[in-house]
Amino acid sequence: MSIALEAERLTKTYGAVRALDDFSIAIPAGGVFGVLGPNGAGKSTLFRIALGLVRPTSGSASLFGAPAGDIRALRKVGAMIETPRYPAYLTARDTLTMLALESGTKNADIGGWLERVGIAHAADRATSGFSVGMKQRLGLAAAFFTKPELVILDEPTSGMDPAGIQEIRALIVDLAQREGVTVILASHQLDEVKRVCDRVAILSKGKIAAEGSVDALTAGDARLRITAASPIAQVLAVLGAKGAADGPDAVLADIRRGEAPALIRSLVEAGVEITEARWREADLEGVYLRTLETAQPLAQSSSEGAA
Amino acid sequence: MLADAIAAERFRLLRDRSALFWGFCFAPIVGFLLSVGGDLFLRNVIKKPMPGVTVGLVDQVIKALSGGASTFGALFLMIGAAAVLASDYRWETWRLLTPRNTRQNLLLAKLVVVGEAVFWSLLLTAVLSAFAAVIGSLIGGRALAFSMFDRNLFDVVGVLAITWLEAMTLAALAACVGVLSRSTMGVVIACLGVRFVQTVLASSLRLMEQGQPSWKLLVLPVFDADLLRATLLDPSQLGAASGSAGAALAVLAVWVAVLATAAVFLFRRQDLTKE
Repeated sequence: MSIALEAERLTKTYGAVRALDDFSIAIPAGGVFGVLGPNGAGKSTLFRIALGLVRPTSGSASLFGAPAGDIRALRKVGAMIETPRYPAYLTARDTLTMLALESGTKNADIGGWLERVGIAHAADRATSGFSVGMKQRLGLAAAFFTKPELVILDEPTSGMDPAGIQEIRALIVDLAQREGVTVILASHQLDEVKRVCDRVAILSKGKIAAEGSVDALTAGDARLRITAASPIAQVLAVLGAKGAADGPDAVLADIRRGEAPALIRSLVEAGVEITEARWREADLEGVYLRTLETAQPLAQSSSEGAA
Repeated sequence: MLADAIAAERFRLLRDRSALFWGFCFAPIVGFLLSVGGDLFLRNVIKKPMPGVTVGLVDQVIKALSGGASTFGALFLMIGAAAVLASDYRWETWRLLTPRNTRQNLLLAKLVVVGEAVFWSLLLTAVLSAFAAVIGSLIGGRALAFSMFDRNLFDVVGVLAITWLEAMTLAALAACVGVLSRSTMGVVIACLGVRFVQTVLASSLRLMEQGQPSWKLLVLPVFDADLLRATLLDPSQLGAASGSAGAALAVLAVWVAVLATAAVFLFRRQDLTKE
């Protein structure tokens, strides 16, 4: 399997701040790869290094095997990093024409792409009058119109209305599935990531805190929700560190499925009146939040283990 | 690849009407209007046209071109140069451009386009000053001659080329300052300051020196350009200094090359974290 974006022991510091800390990842070509993480986790820095906008302090990054910033590799990449900005005096059509000229792209279907991202009606208006959502759409057209093999999108739907979000989400899936474009998507919208991405990496403090397919990350993360007529403290006493209150009359038990019968038995033996017990399936949001709250970054724990 | 970047920059500048007008058209137009206005003032307010005085068409053009990179002219040229060279920091648009061409090509293309624009601006100055000479002769009732000092079109082309090279030393400096300061205003202020200091230094040193100009004078592009223009137009007035014309031309070219190379070197190493 070919690798679209690879980072090896990448570190980037800005003064005392470590945006990326001995960060390694290999994102395979094909499909949609999600990059999650709070502000300052290092997502944008990773993308900027990959695109040659920023030089790493140490380590290396490559696109399709070529060093980050190599123009031959970058010609295969479309990108939208953070909120896109444009020279205010250019229209949407002029902006894409200028970018096509810059990259030497002949016969770019500029009108078609403006249509596809839903701003054909504003094609000849100066971008200074565009809303945030329209700028995002133009940014997407700019990322896609040169027919790249890899597209890096940083918060592509921020500032868009719900219908726009759905449109863009469908466009990303369509490009990935029908045209075989690899998409790397950073987003704070976990629902979007869950719907669109095949694999996900969660970044925290410049390191990878979790990585895998969405199914694998959420599987095994389900928790048993036990509702009881008895006081919650009684239930928590039995569960110990594996229990956490979830409202006034329920607790969440962090156990494996096979442990459920024994747990229920011990609760009944302890005199707890159970009114309901059901598995609450994990969602990406839960995984994300708990990964950030509790998990030591994988890279750190693995390097500590190696030491 | 460089040709692609130049085409993109040219396309962009042609749509930036504000930079085009203020940077490259305003000074020639003002020069034209002041010239015609002066003639009208003489005729209608002072009512003292100067019959018998002949207007030299080429002489007027050469005079206008010689001042093309003066402090006044440089102010506007640097406004235009700053818009081309440093506006991607202002608009935060480097992130759109750098993945599409090499940094070296991107910056060199900007410099080439500034060079083109400066050339067209000087050409506009020449054409408008010729028009002003014709209009002035009609207003003042003066005779119009091709040249009063036996100058020809070759002199016009030569002065245009020297002034262009002089302006390009400032443009190359603008590229350096643009990368370092990431500010269009920084470019204008720094280049104008350098132009002004050069003028003062050149005037002071000229008063102190006789004969062959020292290296202190020769490193000043303002002096080099003046020396080259004088060598071309009136070498007999220069005396021993005329022997330094080759050195002056080389110094101007070296300034452009060194400053452009420094700008590219700095830009290639620059982190574009926040443009």
